[in-house]
Amino acid sequence: MTLLVENITKAYGGQVVVDHASLRVDTGGMVGLIGPNGAGKSTFFSLVTGFIEGEGGAMTLDDRAIGSLSPQARAQAGMVRTFQVPREYTHLTVRENLMAAAPGQAGDSLLNVFFRPGRVAEEEKALAIRVEEAIAFLRLGAVADTPAGMLSGGQKKLVELGRALMTGAKLILLDEPFAGVNPVLIEELSERIRELNARGIAFLIIEHDLGALSRLVPMLYVMDRGRIIASGAPADVLADPLVREAYLGGTT
Amino acid sequence: MIPFIELALNGIVSGLVIGLAALSITLVFGVARFPNAATGDVMSLGAFAALAGASASGTLLIGGVFGIAVAAFVSLACYFLVFQKLSSRPPVASLLASIGVAFVIRAVMGVVFGHQQKVFDLPLARPWRVLDIRFHPTDLKISLAALATLVAVFLILHATPIGRRMRAVADDPSLARVSGISPRRIMVALWLLSGAVAGIAGILVGIKTVVTPEMGWDLLLPAFAAAIFGGIGHPVGAVVAGVILGIVQEVATPFVGFTYKIALSFAVLLAVLLIRPKGLFGTVAGAR
Repeated sequence: MTLLVENITKAYGGQVVVDHASLRVDTGGMVGLIGPNGAGKSTFFSLVTGFIEGEGGAMTLDDRAIGSLSPQARAQAGMVRTFQVPREYTHLTVRENLMAAAPGQAGDSLLNVFFRPGRVAEEEKALAIRVEEAIAFLRLGAVADTPAGMLSGGQKKLVELGRALMTGAKLILLDEPFAGVNPVLIEELSERIRELNARGIAFLIIEHDLGALSRLVPMLYVMDRGRIIASGAPADVLADPLVREAYLGGTT
Repeated sequence: MIPFIELALNGIVSGLVIGLAALSITLVFGVARFPNAATGDVMSLGAFAALAGASASGTLLIGGVFGIAVAAFVSLACYFLVFQKLSSRPPVASLLASIGVAFVIRAVMGVVFGHQQKVFDLPLARPWRVLDIRFHPTDLKISLAALATLVAVFLILHATPIGRRMRAVADDPSLARVSGISPRRIMVALWLLSGAVAGIAGILVGIKTVVTPEMGWDLLLPAFAAAIFGGIGHPVGAVVAGVILGIVQEVATPFVGFTYKIALSFAVLLAVLLIRPKGLFGTVAGAR
């Protein structure tokens, strides 16, 4: 699944937050998006996932224009995001969180529940197997029946990843997956992301931990004050004087 | 002592029915996020439809199923005609609209069915006497029907995919959207379910007492009280609170009189709002 973003812009009351930003994630690709705090990275995610509306520019997923689709339609098209502060259905168990994310279940219709219980039960069984696999893959077995709101920050990040997985997403947008996560779990999360990428799922990752991110992605974009100011291989990008200036706050 | 036990039993029966109405309110509040004042009139409508169905078919069962179906579909129609269009506005817009919807439904019922009291044609049954305590077989059937409804709703919420998704949307609607859950299906299920539950509550009230176009509206405030008392958006709380309110109302009747027993609901409601605004079971997150 190829995501192509061209010249998208967002301003809040005259303050331009995302300024003609363009970016590309290829099928099965792994791309990082970095930049100082307040650079507009999270707003960029919200624009791409349809949570807020931008002004101008174009977005396509596999050549299909998605700029006017609702957030749920974009998710159904195969692009799902996670959040900087992890979000989960707090009262649902980890298992239920993952099960609720699976699309296209017959049991999503109340009438099917009553009039086609056999088919609903069958799909539930198949879904339960997929969810068990995801839980095992994410090493969440010990907390599978715990309400997700009670998990640690790192575990919630895993649940978010699991939820994205269960939607059948081909492109997952991770918003600071390593923030507030202990170093051991960062390695584990990175490993899971690598394995998923090897299975063909593309990632676009916002992250402040440049060390961990550079080890994970072959391609970085740098955003500063709403603009993409550099892109390329991590080593090159991080050596770019413009990028160093943006990060060290040397700009006026 | 015995009169009090009888009153308490009676309170449990009417409390279960109030609990059903509160459950309908709390379901809508949890997912669609506004207090639906049309709940009471959907109840009355269910009772009238059941009466019509029962007299046409000759059996209460078919009448009941018809009444539930009518309540469910009218509830869904209210969503498509009114509440869906207001879903992006503040909740108070939907609340005010629901009061209007309530008046419209009641007015139509008044025109179609008249304002005389109607009763379900039930065979007379002798009350049972156990240890000198009287209990009507009809009351037992009403309680069982109410309990069966509660169990069915809990099973739908907790053991089916659509129930899981309803709880997910109640928990975090915007997260549900970015995860690809489309609100439309959830809302269709919600309004069918809450309408059916209200319809059942109305039919049971009609069987226990009489059917009038105003019966549901009169029960709306006790039902609201139960929903808030139980912790708004919390289905178990709504039912438990309904039963507690029912018992309090009935047992207090000898002291405050029949006319004022309903005022007790409001006293309880006020006390809960002042002392424990999140209700019996509610959490701050649950009320979100």
